[in-house]
Amino acid sequence: MAFASIYVPQFMVQAVMRHEPQLRAGPLALVDGTPPLVRVIAANDFAWRAGIQLGMAKSQVEQFFGVEIRHRSRAQEEAAHAALLDLGWSISPRIENTAADTMVVDFAGLNSLFGSAENIAEDLSQRALSLGLAANIGVASSIEVAIHAARGFSGITIIPAGEESLRIGILPVRVLSPSDESLETLERWGIKTCRDLAALPLLDLSERLGQEGVHLHELARGAASRSLVLAEPCVHFQEVLELDTAEEELEPVSFLLGRLLDQLCARLQTRSLSATAIHLQFHLGDLFEKDPEITKISPESGNDPKLYQKTLTLPVPMRDSKLLLKLLRLQLQSAPPPGSIVKIILSAEPSRPRAAQSGLFVPSSPDPEKLELTVARLSKLVGNTNIGSPELVDTHRPGEFRMSRFNPPINEQHIRRKMKSGRATTTADTKENVSQVRRSFIGFRIFRPRLPATVELRDGLPSRVFFRGVYGHVIAASGPWRTSGDWWREDSWLQDEWDIEIRLGPSSSNGVGAHIGIYVARPGPQQQPQPPQSGMYCVYFDSMARSWFVRGMYD
Amino acid sequence: MYTELHARSAFSFLEGASLPEDLALRCVECGMKSMALLDRDGVYGAPRFYLAANKISLRAHTGAEVTTSEGWRYPLLVESREGYQNLCRLITRMKLRAKKNEGHVSAEEVAEYGKGLVCLTGGDEGPLAYALAQGGIENGKKYVQELVKVFGHVNVYVELQRHLSRAEELRNQAAIEIARNLKLPIVATNGVSHAVPDQREVQDVFTCIRNHRALTTAGRLLARNSERHLKPREEMSRLFADIPEAISNTQEVSSRLKFDLSDLGYEFPRYPVPDGKSQASFLRERAMEGMLRRYRPDNEKARLQIERELTLIERLHLEGYFLIVWDIVRFCNERGILVQGRGSAANSAVCYALGITAVDAVGMELLFERFLSEERGEWPDIDLDLPSGDQRERAIQYVYERYGKLGAAMTANVITYRGKSAAREIGKALSFDTETLNRLTALVSAWEYKDENDTLTNHFRDAGLDLQHPQIRKFLELCVKLQDLPRHLGQHSGGMVVCQNQLDSVVPLEPATMPGRVVVQWDKEDCADMGIVKIDLLGLGMMAVLEDSLKIIRDDYGEEIDLGQLPMNDPTVYQTLQKADTVGMFQVESRAQMACLPRLFPVKFYDIVVQVAIIRPGPIVGKMVNPYLKRRQGREAVTCLHPSLEPVLQRTLGVPLFQEQLLRMAMIAAGFSGGEAEELRRALGFKRSVKRMKDVELKLRSGMDKNGITGETQNTIVQSISSFALYGFPESHAASFALIAFSSAYLKCHYLPAFTAAMLNNQPMGFYQPATLVKDAQRHGLKVGPIDVTCSDWLCTLEKNGEKEFRLRLGLRYARGLREEVGRQIVRERAVRPFSSIEDLKLRVPWIRKVELTALAQIGALNFIDGENKIHRRDALWQIERLARQVGPLLERVGISADNEGVAHFAEPRVKFSPEINQAPSVVVRHSPLQAMTPEERLVADFNGTGMTVGPHPMGYHRQKMKRLGVLTAVELRSVPNGRRVRIAGAVICRQRPGTAKGFVFLSIEDETGIANAIITPPIFEEYHIVVVHQPFLIVEGELQNLDKVISVKAEKIRPLNVTRAETVSHDFH
Repeated sequence: MAFASIYVPQFMVQAVMRHEPQLRAGPLALVDGTPPLVRVIAANDFAWRAGIQLGMAKSQVEQFFGVEIRHRSRAQEEAAHAALLDLGWSISPRIENTAADTMVVDFAGLNSLFGSAENIAEDLSQRALSLGLAANIGVASSIEVAIHAARGFSGITIIPAGEESLRIGILPVRVLSPSDESLETLERWGIKTCRDLAALPLLDLSERLGQEGVHLHELARGAASRSLVLAEPCVHFQEVLELDTAEEELEPVSFLLGRLLDQLCARLQTRSLSATAIHLQFHLGDLFEKDPEITKISPESGNDPKLYQKTLTLPVPMRDSKLLLKLLRLQLQSAPPPGSIVKIILSAEPSRPRAAQSGLFVPSSPDPEKLELTVARLSKLVGNTNIGSPELVDTHRPGEFRMSRFNPPINEQHIRRKMKSGRATTTADTKENVSQVRRSFIGFRIFRPRLPATVELRDGLPSRVFFRGVYGHVIAASGPWRTSGDWWREDSWLQDEWDIEIRLGPSSSNGVGAHIGIYVARPGPQQQPQPPQSGMYCVYFDSMARSWFVRGMYD
Repeated sequence: MYTELHARSAFSFLEGASLPEDLALRCVECGMKSMALLDRDGVYGAPRFYLAANKISLRAHTGAEVTTSEGWRYPLLVESREGYQNLCRLITRMKLRAKKNEGHVSAEEVAEYGKGLVCLTGGDEGPLAYALAQGGIENGKKYVQELVKVFGHVNVYVELQRHLSRAEELRNQAAIEIARNLKLPIVATNGVSHAVPDQREVQDVFTCIRNHRALTTAGRLLARNSERHLKPREEMSRLFADIPEAISNTQEVSSRLKFDLSDLGYEFPRYPVPDGKSQASFLRERAMEGMLRRYRPDNEKARLQIERELTLIERLHLEGYFLIVWDIVRFCNERGILVQGRGSAANSAVCYALGITAVDAVGMELLFERFLSEERGEWPDIDLDLPSGDQRERAIQYVYERYGKLGAAMTANVITYRGKSAAREIGKALSFDTETLNRLTALVSAWEYKDENDTLTNHFRDAGLDLQHPQIRKFLELCVKLQDLPRHLGQHSGGMVVCQNQLDSVVPLEPATMPGRVVVQWDKEDCADMGIVKIDLLGLGMMAVLEDSLKIIRDDYGEEIDLGQLPMNDPTVYQTLQKADTVGMFQVESRAQMACLPRLFPVKFYDIVVQVAIIRPGPIVGKMVNPYLKRRQGREAVTCLHPSLEPVLQRTLGVPLFQEQLLRMAMIAAGFSGGEAEELRRALGFKRSVKRMKDVELKLRSGMDKNGITGETQNTIVQSISSFALYGFPESHAASFALIAFSSAYLKCHYLPAFTAAMLNNQPMGFYQPATLVKDAQRHGLKVGPIDVTCSDWLCTLEKNGEKEFRLRLGLRYARGLREEVGRQIVRERAVRPFSSIEDLKLRVPWIRKVELTALAQIGALNFIDGENKIHRRDALWQIERLARQVGPLLERVGISADNEGVAHFAEPRVKFSPEINQAPSVVVRHSPLQAMTPEERLVADFNGTGMTVGPHPMGYHRQKMKRLGVLTAVELRSVPNGRRVRIAGAVICRQRPGTAKGFVFLSIEDETGIANAIITPPIFEEYHIVVVHQPFLIVEGELQNLDKVISVKAEKIRPLNVTRAETVSHDFH
């Protein structure tokens, strides 16, 4: 019986280089941490030779000429790990997922299929290279010895039975993967190699390092044996694609997204699952130099301006890759990423597929999939910010609101609950209103878009107003009510509002209602419209536009 | 006429955006004759507002907004001194029972302290707005009636504010109705929180900081508009045109507010004297007693000076002050706490006679007027240096005990927004992501050195940032605007104020972060400006070293040293100073001082005074160092800036070096009066105002013009004087420091073991790391023993080494990771009975952790625990691992051995039981199967475990190799002629880039023979930046500069040197 261990040295670095092969030619430092504590956690040999040290701050590394810096990518490591397991499964179902960088294949029964152990090891090595991984392979009759050989020797190492102790002896104790505490103790003792460790009296060692000491002693002598722990199939659905060159056009990205979605949906199908949501993440190129404005937090970027995220929340679980691609494309077209894309991460939230039966008394509604598609199409047509449910914004800027996602009630119970809670809110509001000093219950209709106006002032007070066919003398005015803000943005505002009551003059047409008919009921064909005698409006002077506007009218 | 009665300054900490001075100036621009400053829960900004207002004939009213438990605030205006005292007491009571920046008052307390105060009904945060929001107009009326009940009908004004907001106007209408109803007067204010409209931006940023939000997410927390600024009276009249009495009433209120800060009622405590004596007579007696002790009885000059000083002290009624300081000094002397006055007090012969200072002002002909002058009309300033740490705390607590908790307090230290702190907060407010924020704040220079192009704008431009971009521009603008605005209140390191009556009626008191301390709301400048006497009780590490040295000398040498009686002409001290062999000596140990000492070549005490004063930014930037040194060496003729200045500059060879000289120069050359000279001094030391400096310069020039001093001479004199803006020493202060410097030098020269032990026991302090101090002492012949649990105490101690010699034993405090209580327990247990084994140690010091034992074993502190049988470090580590996993009782008594196959064999018992009760079992020591550490491993373990090694210097192991590389030692450099190319190598112990050195970097490089210096020019630093900043060991190659025994290498090539993995530490000044 023989086992082969496949070990990827400098795994974190290799996981990054796998997608950027050009990095293999020069110094590369991998950093990790939360700014400002971003430090070097790994590097390739070129980088060590250039003077990069473990734990060095990123800013220090930046001062080294020609050293490439990449952030550690756990997603890429996961992808590399998955590739490593694929490598094992490609020749045998009996594999062990030993560690992120290590796996073991049981060679039992493979000889007749693939030839000698040397041949299989050579074959594995070649396959690993084609996956972008330079791996060490250790073959031995014991799992542990195979693992240590792979970790300790570069290339392919085959250890014949009986020579384990001799061959392992020269390796550093670190390859035995002792616990941090034991490793520290061994370092303090000056124990450097497996041979040093094997030479320590076993019982004394067990008195000091306990069972771990005994186990390490066995490992150091190449005498440990154990069974293979078979790897379980994974349940994580994520596909990552790192682009060699940053992509700015959406069309080629859509093509890549289609491939990724096909794979994702196929994987879901094998597990009889569907997706309730698809998370799309684009890592964007360096933006700050181009436009610092982008560094502001936007809904798509979360907290990181170099990240563009979209979540496709699906009304019902689905796994139709073509439909999903359509939805994603529509979303992307309505709010394209602000910069070039360097990495795509696509993941699915798995769920059981939808049961088709709905309530007997629930009114019929559009098919959720179709509704989602329709909303997405409308969104593309009118823009993301112009579709959904309006929501007030916490600002002094007059008339400001934003659109939130359109979320219609799902079923009867939900509607009832909502109605109940609505009533409760109204009651609370009423109580609050009563407690106010003086509460005006007058209604106010906002004109959107705002109406340009001409306002004549006398002694600083509005005296006459003209706008969209309305002409009136101001008989009462209250103001100015001044608001200003967002001074740190280019669209800062400064407005002086006046509440005015006007008496409509003779040149007025049929009143405001004729022009903004959606606010006022149109008169029937038989009725002669009576121009209103007076009206109350809110007009304001926009200091930025240096013009007057009508904000709306009081009912 | 309109008076703003409700304004907040930046001293409302994040609730106001303008300094009090800016508000005052703006008031005048707006045509106001008076203004009231109402900061939140304090009168923090009142002195600065009062002083600024005084200068421009503005009446400064005082008041505060005081927070209640419901969250609203009483806007209170001070009408009379009683009102001010009540306000201070009210705030003190509120502050002292709460955590920092918290606290509120109750209605009962306000009723108790309401007299003399006028209450407004407030704006958004006032009682009326709160009441209206809670329960409408009826509730509002009820609250106002409550105010009337507390403050009286005539002391409540219904306040109206108009910031052009509908909701506010609605409230105003309700307020008018209530006022009419209750027949209360109405008053208009603008609820000011910034001087000019632009500063609203700063106010919004402060709001974000206060609420931990960004500008984009702060929403309606931000100001609705920019109307909360000081408005001209016409604008206010227009705003309140419908209620004209609201404007006219502001005048009425203003005329009622009679109080200002000149009427604080502060009184310095009277010193209790025996019956039948006055303070004056008691002081005179003490001074005369002292005179006899300090001077010979026939020293007529001293007697006359003391007499003259006493007369002035009596005329100014300052006897109590001198007696109180004398009392603190007496307390310290009685308890063996070293104490010495510094600063201008050393100009006084009375202070010398009273034992407050140690500098003979008569003998040194120091200028008494610099300390005290009738003309200045302000309290003298006495600073006392005390040993840092517990001893200083004892002195502080004595003052608290003596004058009561409400009679004494520390002065505050106002922490302001500086470059990086401002940049960071603004970046957060502007929602910059963390990475961008770090990049931007990194552009704010971190080095001390700044050249004229070292501006934020240039940094940004160099970093490739577009300054035209709105966000970047805004960031920059805000960075500038936020500079110097108060951030929070800290505690001054040693300034104390005391008061005859309750101090809390003079200024509100707050709890300090340190338990048992209270702090006043004003910083030391404000206290001085308000005429409150301050005594600085400053902690000085070297005082602690001197004190500890004396104790060690007393205990181990059996000798008593009196620092006041040291032979001031001791040749050894001067020879040592001349050689710049000054590691560890006070004030003369820095690299710059060392580079100056051989050239200055001190031969008498006054030379040390000069030496202490000369290496300061003032003389360096004023280009006074080289002329002085050249004249001293006879290489330049001694000339004076102007013949009239000869008497002033004669002592310093025609070069002004001390503050007093500059004052006298101004008096003689520009005809300044004593008061004007004092103004000049304060402008020089006053960092806040460049403008102030400019004003003084103009005055100087016009004065000199009048005296016929013009042209280049005038320029040189002005330059000499103004360069002191960058900090220079007064002669008296330099003399006080020089005394300490001499004492430290004397002790180091004659009692090296004791001095070194004291230095090591008071770390961190001084210029060098303990590793350097130890190596320096070893080079001077001191034997230093490693930490050893069989003989080390917690502190470093001396051991007899022969008849008269001592060697130093490192204390357990240097074993990293060993807790002090455990270390002291080890010492106590060892005193009972020596440890017989590591197991015995663990048994008797049960709290010791494995990690602590391991730390001790690694540094070799357990090597001798078994007496004769010395074990090596790894033997000890081997034993400790077993002790950490004790076997059960069955196997404990049985020795087991096993072969390599793991088969156990029972063997002889390995533990012998001692028959005596209470005696620990002694383990039969068996050496471990482990190899002893190599020298390199020991070196690494020593530096990791203690930060130093008492063994050979790391460079010592590699000398042969260094020789092959052509590397010279620090000692060898002395004999190499100037200009020769050399190569040096060693551990970097200090990196420095001083603000005065135009971008040059200075390295101190240590090898086994001593310390060599390297100078790196800006281009070379640019080239080798990474290596210089990050590498612990370096090889430096360049031209040797060996002039006047000042030796340094002007670096041309710098390489890292890999000699050890030991982590040496450098003292860096970036």
